Amino acid sequence: MFDVFRAMYKIILPIRYLVKRRITYFAVISVCLCVFIVLVVMTVMAGLVDEFKQKNHQFAGDCVVGTKSLVGFAYYQEFVELLEKTDFVEAVSAAIKSHALISRMDSDRKTRVEIMGIDPAKHGRATGFGQSLHYHKDDVARAFEPGYEPNLPSCVLGIDLELQRDAGSTYTYQTNPSRIGYSISCLPLTAKGALAQAGTDMVDTKTFYYSDNSRTGLPRVDGSLVYLPFEQAQQLCMAGSVKRANAIYVKFKPYVRLEEGCAKVASLWESFRQKKSGEEQAYLLETVTVQSWKGYRRESIAPMEQEQTVMSVMFGFVAITTVFIVMVVFYMIISHKSKDIGILKSVGVSNFDVIELFSGFAFLVGLAGSGLGLLGGWVFLVEINQIEKWLFERFGFQLWDRTIYAIGDIPNRVELKVVVAILLSAIVACLVGALVPSWQAARQRPAAILQVNQL
Amino acid sequence: MLKLFLWLRYLRKRKIVFLSIAAVAVSVALLIVVASLFTGFISAFEHAAVEAIGDVVLSPPMRFAKYPLLIERLEQTEAVEAATAMMLAPGLLHVGAGTGNVRPVEVWGIEPGRRAKVTEFKRFLLKQKDAPGEPVFDVPGASEKTGGFVGIGVLAEPNEQTDEYDPTIAEKMIGQQVVLTTGTASETKEGDGARPELKRRVMSFTIVDVLQTGVYQFDEASVYLPIEKLHKTLYPNEESPTAGQILIKLTSNTDPDAALAVIRGVWRSFVEEHLQSDPDLMYRTVIGTAKEMQRPYVAAYRKQMGILLVIFGVVSIGVILLVFCIFYMIVRLKQKDIAIIKSCGATSRSVAFIFVGFGACVGAVGSGAGVILGYIITRNINTIENWIRIIFGLKLWRSSVYLFSKIPNQVDWFWAGRIILLAVAAAAIGTLIPALVAARTKPVEILRYE
Repeated sequence: MFDVFRAMYKIILPIRYLVKRRITYFAVISVCLCVFIVLVVMTVMAGLVDEFKQKNHQFAGDCVVGTKSLVGFAYYQEFVELLEKTDFVEAVSAAIKSHALISRMDSDRKTRVEIMGIDPAKHGRATGFGQSLHYHKDDVARAFEPGYEPNLPSCVLGIDLELQRDAGSTYTYQTNPSRIGYSISCLPLTAKGALAQAGTDMVDTKTFYYSDNSRTGLPRVDGSLVYLPFEQAQQLCMAGSVKRANAIYVKFKPYVRLEEGCAKVASLWESFRQKKSGEEQAYLLETVTVQSWKGYRRESIAPMEQEQTVMSVMFGFVAITTVFIVMVVFYMIISHKSKDIGILKSVGVSNFDVIELFSGFAFLVGLAGSGLGLLGGWVFLVEINQIEKWLFERFGFQLWDRTIYAIGDIPNRVELKVVVAILLSAIVACLVGALVPSWQAARQRPAAILQVNQL
Repeated sequence: MLKLFLWLRYLRKRKIVFLSIAAVAVSVALLIVVASLFTGFISAFEHAAVEAIGDVVLSPPMRFAKYPLLIERLEQTEAVEAATAMMLAPGLLHVGAGTGNVRPVEVWGIEPGRRAKVTEFKRFLLKQKDAPGEPVFDVPGASEKTGGFVGIGVLAEPNEQTDEYDPTIAEKMIGQQVVLTTGTASETKEGDGARPELKRRVMSFTIVDVLQTGVYQFDEASVYLPIEKLHKTLYPNEESPTAGQILIKLTSNTDPDAALAVIRGVWRSFVEEHLQSDPDLMYRTVIGTAKEMQRPYVAAYRKQMGILLVIFGVVSIGVILLVFCIFYMIVRLKQKDIAIIKSCGATSRSVAFIFVGFGACVGAVGSGAGVILGYIITRNINTIENWIRIIFGLKLWRSSVYLFSKIPNQVDWFWAGRIILLAVAAAAIGTLIPALVAARTKPVEILRYE
């Protein structure tokens, strides 16, 4: 009977305090406010980071075997063939990478760009290159065949090199690509890293015609990358009889885990490198590394992840005020409920049970506050893009100016793990806030509280 | 006196009031740090533009000749202290034979002596910053060779852990010969008519100094060459030198708008007299301050700052709730005191004022503590960032991401003042309802003996 009483009062009293004591509403409101803000900010930030990572993954494939040196490395064809024979690799694409100057034929303006020489069909299978195109999205193999004259040497430009983004983050495309020539000039390098001799038959300046745009959603890539046909890029950038490349992009089969796949490629590369150690240009293989797309694009991704971490820490400090509020509210409630505590203790309730009672109350406050905050946050996030659109149409206000920031819609997908983390943190904050007042309540003596002159 | 007595008494006896002071302090400190970092960054961004290109930039749509005459005329006006010509060209720099180290660079053709008068150019040079006189491109012992300055980031990568450059690596490159490839558009005849084509131009020069401005985009991709040599390389068939832009330093205390009007007038008359009144040069030349040119980016940063302050401000509403709870509790517990005061003749208004005033004091004391905390954090932010790096291995601030090598660490006292006022007002608002409850206390009911 007493056990039933114990179980019942631990449920009834917290609910009663939550409903009857209006001061509790302030604790609930404070928790609700904090949870709302944290949910909205963390969801948007996490969404932006995830989107950015996704775009980087699309750009780089699963694994990259490459070197930072513009000289490149030799014997890449053999390694490509090796990779294609394995059972864990879906697609492989070799690429030439270098820097160049580009000038549009109807302008004397010159720009520094990065060029990437690829086989479009292979590159489309190994990475998300095909999806980034506009005119040749459904026929990647013909990316370098402009519709107006398929036999012309052509190029695919990063979209921001050719078009301007408007405030709605959209680009205005023509029905067909315009016939525009671009003069591209490179520095051809020998295998020793020296400049190729002038007057040789090296082609170092060539005209390419605009064939398509590539929109990866990565600002640095879209604003400075030009894709060229692999062989022509090789002629522009690589002098010497032994063919070289700068990177090999690899896509794994769907069932292959990333770390496992990269480890296999690294092992394969190591044995290949040792097999080639006696060759003439084996020294070029020393600078080659095998990285997953995360490591390869780490320079771009890490800053965003760090900002997310810093934001979380800052909200942690701010959440301390929530702990303070819960502490004060509980202190007030316990001060007024000393009679209840005295009666409970006089009928045999232990100190631990009293702490449990108020911890249960704190749990309910945390649950109610975070429930309301999560609901409000979810509703706000569902409508956030509509709200921003209304603000832009009405007041010209945008959270992020789309002509400067390469962002589409504001991410608003609420992740379960974020919700659970916030919920648990709010409840823990309330429990921590209620700890000291609960402990003080538990230490009260019934005889002292229930004296006639105290009642 | 009674008010002061009660405030001090409540402060001593009710230690929980310190909780509200602490909450106000934490919120105020956070808002001050955020506001100061953002405004510091924006200020550094604008200042970097002025340091790099002077106060005003005259940018015609094409190169123009006889720029020394224009500079002379500009310097004769009262608004202009100094002016210098500049030519920009993109290029590829091959650094070190046999290394395959090719870097994309922005080539600035400059007049070093004049540039040092218009911008803070000289103090960024590693070798010549303390040398007397103007900076020069001369190659010691080889006057026929072309000298150039190179940004430190072109020659070396910043340390992965500390994000700092090792100047000794860059200094080793001083005296080295490097090869620059740049280009111009020149017309070539093709089957269907003449078309401009990029013509490769190659020049070699000797690195005579290294530049470190602390601004990533300048340090990692800038090469400075004599404007005449660059012009000769790019346009070997042209006799008279040309410039792409004119950088101008205004005299101190000059009104920028008035100065711009003067400069526009000088430019117009120069084009009419010496450049055949070319309509393109006359009407399409952009003459604006360096700050104006950065305006879209500065507006975006200010917006981000506003949003972040709003977010933290909303959460700081919790402080109002906290103050409310604490004062409500004090009023409930001190009902006898209030009843006695009222029975001695104090009005409801003065009783209410005791608590509102006390709340404002709590806000003031909390804000004061918050300002001190915010000041300490802001001024030591680079040290704190370094400790985080050493303890957690996390490099939070990278120049490649945030443009500058050091986090701006000046407290923005204007924003601090606003935040303090808001904090005091918020604390006073938090005490309004408890003050009302206190004012409505009926002494007879409280002091009745039961």
